[in-house]
Amino acid sequence: MLAVKDLSIIYTGVRPHVPAAMNISFSLAAGESLGIIGESGCGKTTLALGIMGLLHGADIRGSIMFQGRELTTMTSARRRTFRWRNIAMVFQNSLEVFNPVITIGEQLTEPLCTHLGLSPKAAHQRVAELLALTGLDPRWQTGFAHQLSGGMRQRALIAMALGCEPDILIVDEPTTSLDPESRQAILDLIETLQRRLGFAMILISHHLPAVQRLTSRLMTMYAGRAVEYGITAGILRNPLHPYTRGLINAAPDFFPFKDLWGIAGAPPKPGTVEGCAFAPRCCQAGHQCTRQRPELAAVGVERRVACHKGGIETVLQAIGVKKSYRLGERKVPALNGVSLNVRKGEVVALVGPSGSGKSTLAHILVQVVAADAGEVLFCGRPVHKYTATSMMNGIQIVFQDPGEAVSHRFSVLDAVREPLDIMGWQDRPRRDRKAVDALGAMHLPISPDFLSRTCHALSGGQRQRVAVARALVTDPAVLVADEITAMLDPSTQAVMLRELKAQQHERGFSMLFISHDIHLARKIADRVYVLDKGSIIEHGAVFEVLGGSIHRHGRTNYCGHV
Amino acid sequence: MSCGPAACTLPLPKARPSIRLTSGGRFGLAVLGLVCVLALAAPLVCGHSHRQATGTPLAAPDRHHWMGTDELGVDLWAQVCFGARVSLIVGAGTALMAGFGGAAVGILAGYRGGWTDRLCMRLIDILLVLPDLPVMIVLAAFLGPSVGTIIVVLSAFSWVFTARVVRSRVLSLKQRRYIQASESYGAGVWYLLRRHFLPEIFPLASVGMIRLAGRAIVAEAGLSFLGLGDPTSRSWGMIIHHALGFRGIYYTDYWKWWLLFPWLALTLVVTSLALLGKDLEKAADPRVRTH
Repeated sequence: MLAVKDLSIIYTGVRPHVPAAMNISFSLAAGESLGIIGESGCGKTTLALGIMGLLHGADIRGSIMFQGRELTTMTSARRRTFRWRNIAMVFQNSLEVFNPVITIGEQLTEPLCTHLGLSPKAAHQRVAELLALTGLDPRWQTGFAHQLSGGMRQRALIAMALGCEPDILIVDEPTTSLDPESRQAILDLIETLQRRLGFAMILISHHLPAVQRLTSRLMTMYAGRAVEYGITAGILRNPLHPYTRGLINAAPDFFPFKDLWGIAGAPPKPGTVEGCAFAPRCCQAGHQCTRQRPELAAVGVERRVACHKGGIETVLQAIGVKKSYRLGERKVPALNGVSLNVRKGEVVALVGPSGSGKSTLAHILVQVVAADAGEVLFCGRPVHKYTATSMMNGIQIVFQDPGEAVSHRFSVLDAVREPLDIMGWQDRPRRDRKAVDALGAMHLPISPDFLSRTCHALSGGQRQRVAVARALVTDPAVLVADEITAMLDPSTQAVMLRELKAQQHERGFSMLFISHDIHLARKIADRVYVLDKGSIIEHGAVFEVLGGSIHRHGRTNYCGHV
Repeated sequence: MSCGPAACTLPLPKARPSIRLTSGGRFGLAVLGLVCVLALAAPLVCGHSHRQATGTPLAAPDRHHWMGTDELGVDLWAQVCFGARVSLIVGAGTALMAGFGGAAVGILAGYRGGWTDRLCMRLIDILLVLPDLPVMIVLAAFLGPSVGTIIVVLSAFSWVFTARVVRSRVLSLKQRRYIQASESYGAGVWYLLRRHFLPEIFPLASVGMIRLAGRAIVAEAGLSFLGLGDPTSRSWGMIIHHALGFRGIYYTDYWKWWLLFPWLALTLVVTSLALLGKDLEKAADPRVRTH
């Protein structure tokens, strides 16, 4: 019904021109619904207004085909016949949408009279019907915009858009600034109306549960471009673009227990960046990303991603890892064929009761312990003895016991610089500086006095921070944190994990967070693996496995038996 | 926790743990120091020669010879002072040789593990069960009496103690997380030795070496007493050997002085070493060390 192809909208009214939406393509069949998500200023509303034909001072290129007719080349008079009649829009809710000195009823009557040619009386009748349809008392017709509550105004806006029974409804942020109850009511309303009236819908929203509920397809926009396109459920469960993942991970509706961390950095002004616009904020940006812009390319069934790396890369992978310990004559299995993967820039929690094999797995991943069978891959290459841990940007581990984390004879500076010394990284002054930076990043004092202090004079919490700083000094791609706070008091634990998460957020490394504490895992992790008796019994997004607000089915019983 | 540079000027623990000596340790250190000084400055502190007769034979202590003289009239004070040299050389030589050798074997066995470890441990077991004195007597008899021989013979039997202690230490160190971390950064054997193992092992080995020194001094005296020492040297054991070999002991009482002073010197030195060793042992054990 609607086919948008290579649509570019450039605001020419300002200097320099702002390419607010570039090369957007999608199609929408009757009754289908498309969600568009993205941070503010990414061109979502521009796209909607462009399809509506409501933009002035903008250069529109590409094509918008509606029922076989090209809209972009039409005269504005002819275009107006399609507007409201065939394509209607529910504007973003605010007082300014309505004229403050005209009653709601009059404002709703106007398009009915102009587009459908109804008589004032018939139009009046129709408005009453529409208001009743959207659950608003028809008596409110005589009210002014400022007299209506936010929820009522939203209903009035929907009623206005539905007045001419359009084929396509564009809904822009229907639930912002509404309380949860009204929000739910509005979503219910839109859902029932769509089912009853059968219009196709484009939903622009920040509210991911709304998108999840109302749309079948999803497009992520960033800096005026579509960066991911696919089936809504698939994208929300397994986002392939780092930006989409960042949006989902920042949503408290999906991760009600997690600390709030948005995507680091701010979106650029559309058109100011060469190459991939997301590269400066991306955890896996390479040389190519800053030079060449990636095109939206198919990476799977019904999924297109604009990424040079074909989506989020897997950085650490364990395949069928087996390990058993010899206890006298007996063989005690510790891991029976465990597979897991950690992707770029994500925090994966590995939870399970004591003795489930968590630490064994961690030690196998960094090759401190050799596996009996199976393979560990780092960036797609098999890891042999210490190859991945003895390099910059490799894998690093922080062990559980702060008392053993660093040699008690070393000075703080020596301890943190040790990996660089061993790896022979650059020269001594630069190593010193890097070590001091790492200590500063973990909020440890960097006075000469502290740097020369021997580690045995540090508290457990400080030692563990020194151990984390030592792991971070090599700029690891993956940090394996093996119960690093298990021996610390709750306050020290909280402070340290926040600092670690802040570092992870800023530097974008991946983290495998091993813990027996699911509450901690829920606070920090994006995905989770549940290990029990040496086997992965469950894995998935934290909200799926460990429970969240809208996904209360929590398939695991792990929460129960810990 | 998050104190800035300014806030961290609070009183801090000292960077390195200081070794605190008990009064016994201090006494030991003082005696050893004194003996060392006497040994080094023997020609200066002794008014008489230690080889030539300077008084009447078998004199009791008096103003001129305040430890008395031997059967030839040689001053005993001079003999004891010069004898200290031999005893100290034997003690220090054995301690260093056995200490370093033992530490090297211990590190090798502990770090490499496997058959190297098994081989070393079996060798140590054999040396432990062998009765050392008879073997030493035989060896000394075959190799000929000299200070060098005595050091070698004593070392050959003494390294096992250091090796055992060092090996067990290395075994436990190898399991430490920070050592595993260092290894995972790609640290080689030499790095681990230099930065991790040796600093940990040195205090342990030095305690062992102090003990070995005491043992070596006694053993040298024993061998000398049995007549297997270097006859040209005048070690304390040799003095005792000569005193007891003097046929006239049945006719006079004065030879007792001849025996008393070397014995006293020997006992004092060995006791001092033991006292000092005990204190160092405490200092080397991190659990005892004051934080």
